[in-house]
Amino acid sequence: MAMRQTPLTCSGHTRPVVDLAFSGITPYGYFLISACKDGKPMLRQGDTGDWIGTFLGHKGAVWGATLNNEATKAATAAADFTAKVWDAVTGDEVLTLAHKHIVKSVNFTQDSSCLLTGGNDKIIRIYDLNKPEAEPQEITGHTSAIKKALWCNNDTQILSAADDKTVRLWDRNSTEVVKQLSFDMSVSSMEYIPDGEVLVITYGKTIAFYNALSLDMIKTVDAPASIHSASLHPDKDFFVAGGDDFKLYKFDYGTKEELESYKGHFGPVHCVRFSPDGELYASGSEDGTLRLWQTAVGKTYGLWKCVLPGEFSCLMPNN
Amino acid sequence: MRPHVSVLRLPRGPDPNGRGFDPNSPRFIALCPTTISASTETGTDSVQIREEQRARSVLRESFLRTLIAMTNKQVQFHMYERVKVEAKFGASDIDVLNFQVSELHTPIGVQKEALLRCQDVISYSFDL
Repeated sequence: MAMRQTPLTCSGHTRPVVDLAFSGITPYGYFLISACKDGKPMLRQGDTGDWIGTFLGHKGAVWGATLNNEATKAATAAADFTAKVWDAVTGDEVLTLAHKHIVKSVNFTQDSSCLLTGGNDKIIRIYDLNKPEAEPQEITGHTSAIKKALWCNNDTQILSAADDKTVRLWDRNSTEVVKQLSFDMSVSSMEYIPDGEVLVITYGKTIAFYNALSLDMIKTVDAPASIHSASLHPDKDFFVAGGDDFKLYKFDYGTKEELESYKGHFGPVHCVRFSPDGELYASGSEDGTLRLWQTAVGKTYGLWKCVLPGEFSCLMPNN
Repeated sequence: MRPHVSVLRLPRGPDPNGRGFDPNSPRFIALCPTTISASTETGTDSVQIREEQRARSVLRESFLRTLIAMTNKQVQFHMYERVKVEAKFGASDIDVLNFQVSELHTPIGVQKEALLRCQDVISYSFDL
C-alpha cells in the first residue's frame, strides 16, 4: 500500500529560512547548512536533520550559506555587509570579508581554495582563502543586485543570476562575459549540477533546465504556483520545486509530469535541495522551519522507518 | 486512508545553552586541528606543547576569575566607533558573546538593563 509522506521538521530558527546547502558525502555522513533571517546559520546532520551547531557572529540576516565538499568549512553571506568563512567542525569564525553592501551568495571552489561572493553591490568577487588579506578579484557587469553566483565548469567559469533579469556566464581568468541569458522577470533561484553540467533556473511559475556550458535551454516546466526554488535529483529522474503556495512539488524530469505535491510548510518555500545521495530533499520556508522529505516514500532511511503490516511502529505522527 | 510513514524520532533541535559543535563527537575528535601553535611546527617538542598549554590554562583561569571579580562592580567599556560606556557588570554568557549589565550609562541616557555584545568591546576596566 502506498504510504503518505512524513516530513521531518527541523526547528530552531526564529525567522524565515532563505537558503540551504548540502555538503558532499564525507566519512561522517553529509551535512546541511541553513541561512536564516535571524542571523544565526545552523549546521545539521544531513540525513537526520539533527542540529550540530549554530554559527554565531553575524549581525544581520544571513541570506546565503554554503559548505565545502568535505563539510570542514562553511561560508555565509549576510545583511551586515560581510561574508564569513567558518570552521564547520568547531563552529569558529575563521574569516570576515567586508563588503560594501548586503552580501547574498557565497560558493567555494571544489578544492575550497577560493570563495565566490555576490550581493547588492552588483559585483562578483573571488577571494583567495590562502591569501585572505589580498584584494579579491572583481567581476563587474551586472546592473542590479546579484542573487546567486556559482562556480561551474570545473571552477574555470562562473554563473551569476541578478535582479537585472539576466543570468551570465563568465570566464574566471579574463573576467569577461562568455554568454548571457535574459528573462522577462527576475530569476528566483539557480542550481548548478556539475555531473552533466545542468543549470536549474526558476522564474515566475517556471522551472527551466539549461546546459551550463552552452546556456542552451534543455526544457522548461510550469508549476501551479510561483516557484522560489527547485532542485534536480542526482540521477536526473525527478526534480522538486517549492514556492508561494507553501507546497513542495515533485515532477518527473523526463516526462515533465507533476507526480506529487506535499503540504506541510506554513509559509512560502524559499529554498529546496536534494541531498547528495538523492535519498531526501530539504526545504526552507518563511515559517522558520526546514523540512526533510523522502524521495522514496516509505523507505527505511535516516529517521524514517519502513514498517511492514503487523509490525509495531515506534512513533506515529499526528496528521 | 493511507498510513503515514513511521519515524524513529524527531530531529534533535538546538541546545538552548550553547552553540553546539560537540567537542566529543567523533568528527570533532578526528578533524579538529590542534589549536596549540607550538604543535603545528615540525619537530614538535612535547615539553613545549605542555608549557604552552599550561600558559593557556593560566590565562584562561585568570580571565574567568576577572569575570567573577567584576560582578556587581562598575566597569568602563571601550567599544568600537569611539564609544565609552559605564555600567554595573552582572554576568557573561557561557560563550562570552554577551555581557549582562545594569544601569548602563550611554551618551543618550541610562539603560536600566542591557546586554553588551562582546564582539563590539575593545577593552574594559574596573577597580578591584
